[in-house]
Amino acid sequence: MPAAVRNTVDRLDKPSAYYQSRNKKRKYDRDDDREGREKTPEEPAEDPLKDAATLYVGNLSFYTTEEQIHELFSKCGEIKRLIMGLDRFNKTPCGFCFVEYYTHQDALDCMKYIGGTKLDERIIRTDLDPGFQEGRQYGRGKSGGQVRDEYREEYDEGRGGLGRAIQAERQKEEEEYGKGR
Amino acid sequence: MADYDQRPRGGRGGYNNNRKRRYRDEDDYDRRPQRRRYEEPLSSRVRKQFLSIAESPLKRVEDEVVSIARMVTDNFEDEEVKQSFYDLVVQLVVEQPFKIPFVAAVVLVVNTIKSEMTQEVLKRAAERTNEAIGRGEWREVKLLMKFLGGLQGVLEGEGVWIVLQDLLTKAVDLQTENNEETIGPELVKIVLFTIPYVMASSATDNQERAANMVENTDIIASEPHVLQALVDPYPGNGKEEPESPNGVLNLLQKQLQNEAANGWELACLPRPWKVLQETAPEPSPKHTLPTIVIPEVVNAGPRPLFPELYFSVYANQDVETVPPTSDIASCLLRDAIVDTINILDYNRTATARFLIDIDCYFSPGTFVKRATPFDRLRDIEGDRSTWKPEDVAVDAVFSQLFQLPTPEHKLVYYHAVLTESCKIAPAAIAPSLGRAIRYLYRSVDSMDLELSYRFMDWFAHHLSNFGFTWKWTEWIDDVDLPNLDPKKAFIQGALDKEIRLSFAQRIKGTLPAPYQQLITEEKEKDTPDFKYNDQVPDTPFSQEGQEILALLRKKSPEDVIQPVINRIHAQALSLSLPDPLVLSTDAYMTSICYIGSKSLSHVLSCIERCKERLLALGPTSPAARKQIIDSVMDYWKDQPGIGVNIVDKLLNYTILSPGSVVEWALAKEGTRLGEAHVYEMVSATVGKVTGRVRQVVRARSVPGLLPEQKEMMRETAERERTSMKELFALMEDSLTGWASGSKDQTVQSGDGESGDEKMVRQWGERWLRVFRRKFAVEEAWYLEFDKAMEAFTQAQGTAGEANGGEMIVDGEVKAEVKFE
Repeated sequence: MPAAVRNTVDRLDKPSAYYQSRNKKRKYDRDDDREGREKTPEEPAEDPLKDAATLYVGNLSFYTTEEQIHELFSKCGEIKRLIMGLDRFNKTPCGFCFVEYYTHQDALDCMKYIGGTKLDERIIRTDLDPGFQEGRQYGRGKSGGQVRDEYREEYDEGRGGLGRAIQAERQKEEEEYGKGR
Repeated sequence: MADYDQRPRGGRGGYNNNRKRRYRDEDDYDRRPQRRRYEEPLSSRVRKQFLSIAESPLKRVEDEVVSIARMVTDNFEDEEVKQSFYDLVVQLVVEQPFKIPFVAAVVLVVNTIKSEMTQEVLKRAAERTNEAIGRGEWREVKLLMKFLGGLQGVLEGEGVWIVLQDLLTKAVDLQTENNEETIGPELVKIVLFTIPYVMASSATDNQERAANMVENTDIIASEPHVLQALVDPYPGNGKEEPESPNGVLNLLQKQLQNEAANGWELACLPRPWKVLQETAPEPSPKHTLPTIVIPEVVNAGPRPLFPELYFSVYANQDVETVPPTSDIASCLLRDAIVDTINILDYNRTATARFLIDIDCYFSPGTFVKRATPFDRLRDIEGDRSTWKPEDVAVDAVFSQLFQLPTPEHKLVYYHAVLTESCKIAPAAIAPSLGRAIRYLYRSVDSMDLELSYRFMDWFAHHLSNFGFTWKWTEWIDDVDLPNLDPKKAFIQGALDKEIRLSFAQRIKGTLPAPYQQLITEEKEKDTPDFKYNDQVPDTPFSQEGQEILALLRKKSPEDVIQPVINRIHAQALSLSLPDPLVLSTDAYMTSICYIGSKSLSHVLSCIERCKERLLALGPTSPAARKQIIDSVMDYWKDQPGIGVNIVDKLLNYTILSPGSVVEWALAKEGTRLGEAHVYEMVSATVGKVTGRVRQVVRARSVPGLLPEQKEMMRETAERERTSMKELFALMEDSLTGWASGSKDQTVQSGDGESGDEKMVRQWGERWLRVFRRKFAVEEAWYLEFDKAMEAFTQAQGTAGEANGGEMIVDGEVKAEVKFE
């Protein structure tokens, strides 16, 4: 009903451009696959976020605990499940998590009221998520953490300093410099 | 305003040219071809300009009004422009209440150029009003009426007065039937808030009508509602005379009488329509207001209605920073701000922006310049206003945060609005918040207990967004108060909450020396000690405790653990200790806590593995079940928040019963009543129970149930309701004990005169008030629901009758909107 009409002010409880662009990309890929095959008329796809009660939470410090997350996020409703994002290799927190509520409304409220506020003195990011699946708790970066922590040029104390790839590179340079002398 | 998604190009792309940026938000248009230029369609230009009306302090709003009206009428042939204009008029009215007088002014100017457009606007606004009445969306009705009131000058005959009279008649009818009625006052509220907008409009010769109407509302408005005492934020503390609460209706009615006596000055309302005197001095065509019907049966709407009280954190300052309650501006500003806040919950940044810009939307001179320091207000001469726009805005947010029984949105929304406002204009907002905090802290002992908890929760959360900085030095004297003193309890509770959002060491670093003792070394420990580890020599059953721990660690099956438990039982018997099961439960549960101390998921998976034994305890021994709570809360005594959380999960597993939690909290130690985390634990438990009752009661109303299914659901609902009533009775019983002092004597055999006992009595009274209210609210909800269900069934019964047709639709909407 009212949702169909565009509000005079933007809504904060919509999926981010990140989510939408990923979705678009996937659709393109699928279209490529289908080339040559007969095109089935695109039925209006069911929105996977229609009843989403899960949020992806990003930009956490590596040191932020489950209890802290729980403390903040339960302000929007009882939490059903909390899954910490882990480094694929070390199994240590790597700065993101999934928070699952019991209801879709709680998740939307969280987008509106908590996304973009601070936890553990960092501005955190929330995004609606179609739901947690096993495996998604691990970082997908080369060295085990999140991709964004590979090449980050700014020093971020809460997230392991410089990007790991950059750190590795610097170390290598240093070693070589030593040898050259 | 924020119409970002229509922005064709990069917008303010300048600030995020870092292509490696990992955060993509709506502003991020990096990937689009940057230089594609095309002419922006006219309709979207009109939209943009119209949406941002009155927002800029740099533009003269009268010029904006005329320019928009011209743009629309010049392009009358452009169907898109026209439709978008009609849609926006209504949408702005119901979504951005501050702009109502300006939107009305645009329509008035349009009327002088293309008067047929006004006819269409009126048609749509009336349609929307009728629809809102059907849905019971009384706030929307009020906003639309304010808008139509602003157009009174171009309405034929009596215009909006007819509608106002109908509303009033309905309200009087309802009130005569039943004086506990809450819709009646809601209708009167619409009448009273519309009148000033009519009187500040271009319409003339309305004084007499207005004065009469105000007079006629007296019977309803001046009578304090029977539920008023229930939602009083300051019931008092027994020391000073509590301030009698001001009902908004009563207040507004008196203020309107004042205005009537003083020629309707209504100084704060803007009058942008005065531009007509420059552009079109001769009268423009008038129109008939389409019929607006108040149906026979009125819909109570989606939210339960309670009497509204006027709440302010800036009362009694030596210089007035907000309008006094004798001035009509207090109600008019508050009403518009509160509506803005509650409507725009989906974009707190926009809400905050509105709050900061509030001086743009009222007549010039209403406020002092933004961010004028409090101390400067004294220098303001003559009768110029000393009202600080940020105080007026912040005051309105607090009125919602402190709304009883509950505000429209989750509390955290109002936290977020304050955070956001503080981020946008720290220099203006932060000092206002500081004064609000001081006021609230001063009255923390006379405030309703639920509100002092909300205050504490907000305070800690707010500080967590701003580096935990607060001038703690000003409360240093209170650090040495006894723990049961409400002020000391507030400090301790707030620090605990801060720690929960951060960590002990960090918080300790923000505190002056005298506070350091409040954060003990134990609080800084991530893993509290395991008491069976013989830190304290001769802890009974330490051997067994350690063994149980080792076995649980190894995930050994229960039949391997049982022998150890049996040993505890045997020893206890030989020492003739009472209740051996309690002792073994302590060892078992403490071990779970110790293993689970690593994180919440650790303790959850450990409970999951041990749940069978734990579940079996309750039915066998209520004392053992209570011991589970004792063990958890004792293990986590220095970080009680974690304990509360675990208790909450144990309730979900039904290992604990709500009754056991209530008994643990209220039966034994009176000092527990002063601890914030105990209040938190009990209200969460009660919340679970009442939430469950509502859920099963609602389930009955699902359409298409078979009669036997309905019967089954009715039984479930009755059962749940009975256990809820029992729980409340249990609380009532314990709490009256504390409040009357009878419990003290039985347990502590004190003389009843010591300071602690007096304070416990006071805590008992405060608790009692909160939970009596919660019970009353649940009962009221149930009665309302039943009534709505009945009306719905009746409506179904009369289906097909000529007049009943529309009612059925209404009934359906009612059942769905109201209770989903």
